Amino acid sequence: MIDNTKDSRFSVKQLIVIYTIISLMSLLAVWELVARFTKASMFLPPASQVLVAFCRSFVEPIGKRTMLAHIGVSLYRVGVAFFFATIAGIALGVGMGYSRLAEAILKPIFEFIRPIPPLAWIPLSILWFGLGDTGKFFIIFLGCFCFITVNTYDGAKNVDPELIGAARMLGANERQVFFEIVLPSSVPYIFAGLQIAVTAGWSAVVGAEMIQSNEGVGWMIVRGMNTGNTVQIMVGIVAIGIVGFILANLTSALERRLCAWNEQKGM
Amino acid sequence: MERAEGNVGSPAAVLECRNVGRSFDSYDGGGKNEVLRGMDFEVHENEFLVLFGAGQCGKTTLLNILAGLDMPTEGQVLTRGKKVTGPAPERGMVYQKTSLFPWMTVEDNVGFGPKVQHMPENERQARIKKYLELVGLTGFEKNYPSQLSGGMRQRVGIARAYANQPDIMLMDEPFGHLDAQTRYMMEEELQRIWQKEKRTVIFVTNNIEEALFLADRIILLTNCPTHIKEEYIINMPHPRDYVDPEFLRLRQLITDNMDLTL
Amino acid sequence: MKSFLEKYKYKLISACSFLFVLLVWQLVTDVFHLVSPVMLPSPTKILGTFWYKLTGGTVPDGSTLLENIWSSLKIALGGYCVGVLIGVPLGVGMAWSRKFELFAKPLFDIIRPVPALAWIPLMILWLGIGYGSKVGIIFFAAFISATVNSYTGIRRTSQVHLWVGKTFGATNRQLLFKVAIPTALPMIFTGLRLALGSAWVALVAAEMLAATSGLGYMIQMARMLGRPDVIIVGMLTIGFVGLMLNTGLEKLQKKYVRRGKQHD
Repeated sequence: MIDNTKDSRFSVKQLIVIYTIISLMSLLAVWELVARFTKASMFLPPASQVLVAFCRSFVEPIGKRTMLAHIGVSLYRVGVAFFFATIAGIALGVGMGYSRLAEAILKPIFEFIRPIPPLAWIPLSILWFGLGDTGKFFIIFLGCFCFITVNTYDGAKNVDPELIGAARMLGANERQVFFEIVLPSSVPYIFAGLQIAVTAGWSAVVGAEMIQSNEGVGWMIVRGMNTGNTVQIMVGIVAIGIVGFILANLTSALERRLCAWNEQKGM
Repeated sequence: MERAEGNVGSPAAVLECRNVGRSFDSYDGGGKNEVLRGMDFEVHENEFLVLFGAGQCGKTTLLNILAGLDMPTEGQVLTRGKKVTGPAPERGMVYQKTSLFPWMTVEDNVGFGPKVQHMPENERQARIKKYLELVGLTGFEKNYPSQLSGGMRQRVGIARAYANQPDIMLMDEPFGHLDAQTRYMMEEELQRIWQKEKRTVIFVTNNIEEALFLADRIILLTNCPTHIKEEYIINMPHPRDYVDPEFLRLRQLITDNMDLTL
Repeated sequence: MKSFLEKYKYKLISACSFLFVLLVWQLVTDVFHLVSPVMLPSPTKILGTFWYKLTGGTVPDGSTLLENIWSSLKIALGGYCVGVLIGVPLGVGMAWSRKFELFAKPLFDIIRPVPALAWIPLMILWLGIGYGSKVGIIFFAAFISATVNSYTGIRRTSQVHLWVGKTFGATNRQLLFKVAIPTALPMIFTGLRLALGSAWVALVAAEMLAATSGLGYMIQMARMLGRPDVIIVGMLTIGFVGLMLNTGLEKLQKKYVRRGKQHD
């Protein structure tokens, strides 16, 4: 940030594009060369092979399904769990943030459960729900739920008391203060929570599928491990990364859309 | 002391503050922290009363008590003879930080009071239009507060308070955060708005020029615990001139009487 | 007495609420037998199992609770240290040097969206199921939070502070170490905390997939052997240790990072 690039012939945007291409190309080139011409070829397939396999996996099935279908399965699991986690998390977070009584009753129980990583629930969820989708929904739900709750809670706690005072002075009753002031002013916090939750949910589905599943992206890479198929693992990692990237950016785009009034900016 | 022309005949008090005191428990839990002591005054119909005092101590607390957002530990506040027990739309408030709702557009901010009181939509729109026009912000209906300058935001705050057509307006150093130039301008604006649509106003400030420019009557407050030191009736015609000899004389008189032990 | 009740009203409600849950739990399990002990053991049973594992019981997974904790901690802290030692300088470097950022950030950005868990199969294939592969996985988990936060922290350095530094003739190096890094320190510390959290979570997953000891292994074994009491003891231990690690770092941060409160 201190050394400037003003002397360059290119604009900042052009520079970013150029350097991105250079750095990615050099990564692929080094990978390819190392995999082809050194002893690393034992365990590292060349980049070109992974790329070809990645393209082929759109049409050729891995296990019962093609890659896109596996992604679909995983996304479906995240989607369902995320939906319920959002409802439950916002309700609990706002409730605890707004009402001291609700906070006193629910917070100790929530704080007791919160530090347990979602994946640590897998053994118990298998005992409770069996090996089907319900257990996975449960795990992913837990993965998303805590983040949404914590952020919503912070949002509802941090409402500027002067705004609440102003609304009451203008004649708003308790219910109106809640719906017109507390809820909307928590929206940026809620969105921050949703954004973390989507990433956490995606990570949780990968973990849950790796430990217990017969389809989905997590299964894909574990299957690759069990059959010693490094190419398939790498294809899976690329797919997981791309979907993770898209999910994270979708939520932040949505946030910019819905919270245009909010001046503060995150990273 | 001279009487203000508008108040001849002493009309009924709109708001009475009767021996109000407020203390807080101090943080260590032991003693009491007395902020207000024996505040006893009243405001008359359409009077512009300025509460003037240096420092941060007590003025906002007093205003919150008048608003009904805080309760006095001693004495009581009456509006038209009725005891104040909580916030009510009859008392409008304008804040230093403007406290506009940042997620609402200008028109939604101004229309918030009428909306929560379930005013019919067409009537509400007329209110919004009227008061945005009064403060000179027609054309900015769809903007968000973050897109406005400090002075414009404060106009929205004033319009929002006006839109409820309150019986009395409470203003808590509304121009305290503005730069000097904008501040002068806003003082003139407020004076114009007030002349056009008279209201009973209680205005808190720590700026003597502002106090003298706007007030019908000034109550000089002391610090910690805040209580009334002196009362001045200002009987100069509007618009006032900051360098008028009478203005300067009163300014001297009042500042000499302040205790600046900070 | 009245003021005592008033003062601690909400704390009392909290305590009651918590005890009430435990009571209902005990009632539906051991007292009225509404829930099968295979699904949910009673709190007293869990407490008993906890005591047993703590005081040297090795059934069913072959290690005591403390051995498992130690084995997990060793791996988590190993991977964490590597991740932080690489991540923090990388983040600082990318934020400070424009050229380095242009080159390194695209590479970092393609790794960033991949959850750490997704590296598990590759690590296991490459490094086997021993110490190395788990350290590798935890490295990824810790590395990303550490880098992102250091980067953001340095980026938040006030331009005015840098100008002041330059006006007084500070070299680029001095600006970095005397202005930018101190500014970023609270954020870097937050990154260290987040990194420790993700490391701990990743560790549990790694141990559930491939391990012969550790807390993750313990709960996975307990499931196969149908011992829900051991599972719950394991889960609570995992949660508790994670919490302690976080609180420990928080204490360190409060103690050593002045002005930490100004930032979030």
